[in-house]
Amino acid sequence: MTHDEIISQLKNVMKQSSQESADWDNIGDDSSIQSLGFDSLSILDLIYDIQQEFGIEFEAEELATVRTVGELVSFLKEKGV
Amino acid sequence: MLMADFKCRLKADQGFKMNEKKRVVVTGFGAVTALGMNVSDIWTEIMAGKTGIKNLTCFDTTEYSTRIGAEVDNDKLAQRLADIKFKRYDRTVEMAIVSCEQALKHAGLIGDGPDYNPQRIATIIGTGVGSAHSLFHAYNCFFEKKVRGMRPTTVPRCMANATSAQVSMKFRLTGTNYMITCACASSTVAIGESFRMIADGYENIVLCGGSDAIFEPASYASWNNLGVMSKNPDPLKACRPFADDRDGCVLGEGSAALLLESLESAQSRKATILGEIVGYGASSDAEHITRPSPEGQANAIRNALSSAEISAAEIGFVNAHGTATRANDECESASILNALGSSADDTPVSALKSYFGHLLGASGAMETIITILCLQKNILPPNLNLENRDPNCHLCLVGNTPTETNASYALKNSFGFGGTNAVLVIRKWHD
Repeated sequence: MTHDEIISQLKNVMKQSSQESADWDNIGDDSSIQSLGFDSLSILDLIYDIQQEFGIEFEAEELATVRTVGELVSFLKEKGV
Repeated sequence: MLMADFKCRLKADQGFKMNEKKRVVVTGFGAVTALGMNVSDIWTEIMAGKTGIKNLTCFDTTEYSTRIGAEVDNDKLAQRLADIKFKRYDRTVEMAIVSCEQALKHAGLIGDGPDYNPQRIATIIGTGVGSAHSLFHAYNCFFEKKVRGMRPTTVPRCMANATSAQVSMKFRLTGTNYMITCACASSTVAIGESFRMIADGYENIVLCGGSDAIFEPASYASWNNLGVMSKNPDPLKACRPFADDRDGCVLGEGSAALLLESLESAQSRKATILGEIVGYGASSDAEHITRPSPEGQANAIRNALSSAEISAAEIGFVNAHGTATRANDECESASILNALGSSADDTPVSALKSYFGHLLGASGAMETIITILCLQKNILPPNLNLENRDPNCHLCLVGNTPTETNASYALKNSFGFGGTNAVLVIRKWHD
């Protein structure tokens, strides 16, 4: 998948799991995941939804250093998405 | 001196008036059922003699022996949730959010939102089943993918107190919040306990009611196999409380909420008072898990009258539990006769489950709201589908058209599996 395709699919997943009404049309690589309405609980749902959506498995701890959408896309690419 | 005596004397010395109860009034209500997305629409449909029971559409009912029910319009529910800015969650929670928002707004305690200021209001919600849809989804995921299939937020979504917790958080209600679960009596008990809480001075304002969303394949299959649901395929005719040809209940989904507060609180903020809760009685059959007991039910009615300090002769209307099962309606008739004595001969009785189905844990709250409106508007709802009265139900049943009333007091009965009996006494509000 291309970078843009991953972001587009990721946006749909994030919309579902987020607790806030973020400006989803304008999120990009620099957007902080926390600012999109994810707290310590809902981030667990996001990880679950990403695993279901992209058909991959990983531990939550592996995302410990991921802060932005761009970093998350890079992480997913490393996992073979 | 016993500690209890000491505490009483201490309070008396400090100037407390012992046993002085506060009056409890209703200043707001809201509801979501198959008949409408607010109380006003539901009332209009009832008085027009319409039912919300239809063929079920939310899942494939081919293998079920009962294929009808009273479903809430999903598109309208989604729109209301979007208006309130509440993300889709569990259906039981969602419907409670909508009805509670209406009740709080009706009482003048919140504006349009979506941000709310914290207020000292308790949240006491009843449910029979709880987060049925989320549980169904969670078990499906588990059976499909085992441990890895389980969504991390399954616990907060499915916990038995999910509804009161979400309502409390959404509207920033900082009084105590908890759920009451006693099957079909749940929301009547929620109102009763809220009444006591305010009367005894523990809370000043309580948001109470009930919510249940039973239409998911597994929960509905459980009811299907229990053998208490009507097998009549005609949705308009299937639910027939107190009729000789009744053959069981018809389920519905929905939520109803009432805002209860002390009379002083309502008057001090110049709230419009809709009615007054003046008594609450409860009892347990302590006999059988599903078969009702006339003694247990009559005890609850007597306890309610005693709590209200009125006689049976003062009751001008009984809003029955009236599930339309063979056992319940006959048992409830005997209970009413037993508790009200000769006063039952001319006390009109109506049952409302033929309109919006049996709402389980939300039924008592929905039916209490309609009872308050009956007293307020001096009119009683017809009993739908009562062409042939059961000769074993010796009650003064309202016929097939609305009937005028000048009743000042009404009883609301609710009886649940597990033997929980709960009865409210409601007084018409006179300005």
